[in-house]
Amino acid sequence: MRIVLDRARCEGHGLCEEAAPQLMHLDDEGELVLDREEISVTDSAANAEANAAVRVCPVAALRIA
Amino acid sequence: MPNSTPPASDIDLFDDAVTVDPWPTYAALRDLGPVVYLPANDTYVLTRYEGIRNALLDWEAFSSVNGIGFNPMVNEALTGTSLASDPPVHTQLRATLTENLSPRALRGLKATIDTKADALVEQLVNKGSFEAMDALARALPLEVVADLIGFTGAARHNMLRWGQAAMQVIGPMNERTAENFPIAGELYGWCSSVTAEDLQPGSVGRGIFDAEGRGDIPPHTAGHIIHQYLGAGVDSTIASIGNIIALFAAHPDQLALVRENPALVPAAFNEVLRYWPPLHVWGRRATKDVDVEGLRIPAEAHVGLLFGAGNHDPRHYDDPEAFLVERNPVDHLAFGYGPHGCAGQGLARLEAHAVIDALARRVGRLVVGPEVRLPTNITRSIDELVVLEVVPA
Repeated sequence: MRIVLDRARCEGHGLCEEAAPQLMHLDDEGELVLDREEISVTDSAANAEANAAVRVCPVAALRIA
Repeated sequence: MPNSTPPASDIDLFDDAVTVDPWPTYAALRDLGPVVYLPANDTYVLTRYEGIRNALLDWEAFSSVNGIGFNPMVNEALTGTSLASDPPVHTQLRATLTENLSPRALRGLKATIDTKADALVEQLVNKGSFEAMDALARALPLEVVADLIGFTGAARHNMLRWGQAAMQVIGPMNERTAENFPIAGELYGWCSSVTAEDLQPGSVGRGIFDAEGRGDIPPHTAGHIIHQYLGAGVDSTIASIGNIIALFAAHPDQLALVRENPALVPAAFNEVLRYWPPLHVWGRRATKDVDVEGLRIPAEAHVGLLFGAGNHDPRHYDDPEAFLVERNPVDHLAFGYGPHGCAGQGLARLEAHAVIDALARRVGRLVVGPEVRLPTNITRSIDELVVLEVVPA
């Protein structure tokens, strides 16, 4: 699976960072950085984090492709 | 039975008794079906969590153009704002609106808001008895928003009534809406005539005018942005802070959990928003025939999203009538969701987290009198809540 960020929609609320600390973080400017975009289907912890991040984004800027 | 006609109910969403205590109505409508037609309001309401969340995301089927409000006058007045537009127009308007409201833009405000909230709570704890809506729930957002926009003078004194009126007029053309249109008009008039010099140097409001002066945002948009800050950000935040105080007064065990583990502050606010969302109902317009779980909403119908009904849907939240700060319902519907998700939620979180944190550190238990609620169209807020005694932490 792959995490896709709609950068125009992202407003930096940062809830995804709390839900998926292994996969993404806000940089010093408050911009979201995806540390891992491609996730193996066998990596269940990362899959769970990715789904949680997509679920929590309040403006629906993240999706799984 | 695919594409069948939704059930109907003779409930009036804006009946005084329903607006003061909507919970039995929400439960009844949710049990009737995921979509229920209300002839009294000429609105198809979405009553269950999944339907509301999906509609918030699907702006192509559930449009905000000519659909937010429950009377044609307010929908016309909102035309051209980010609130009442769809992508791609919405995308640019939203970016301009949130430029100064996004969490990254607000980072510098956190320390100031924490200090203000803590000072207010400290003073009230020492006082021991006070009316909590005026002394805390209204005091903090009014001060924060006034400083943010850089208001001085008469505008500052009018913020509360202007903010309340801006939400009331979103309802149907009832007595409350008719009474409030002139007051909402005062706000609109002020925002249309305000100039940079009326706002404090260094404020965000002044910065929006500077951006207009530089040509970074289109001409004549600065006043509209300030209108949205005030219209959308004051009344709902006041309601939420009042709800924090009332819910922690009613559930001292939950306040104790936050005190023992301050990391629960954001989760506690999510649960307050889930439990008592500040908005009763919000509108959309169906752009085509839309099927929700096999029930057909006809093209051009007005659609009402019942956030409170969705937030208490047992299909989505276990034991929804329990107030549990450890639940952390991050996907609650109180801020909406998707492209129109509350633009001011970052600021609301700063204020609410500061209040919860200060209460948890300084208050063991609040002994309160009855919550006084008045009928309102859209914002569900406690009007008066007397704290009789503060048992310190």
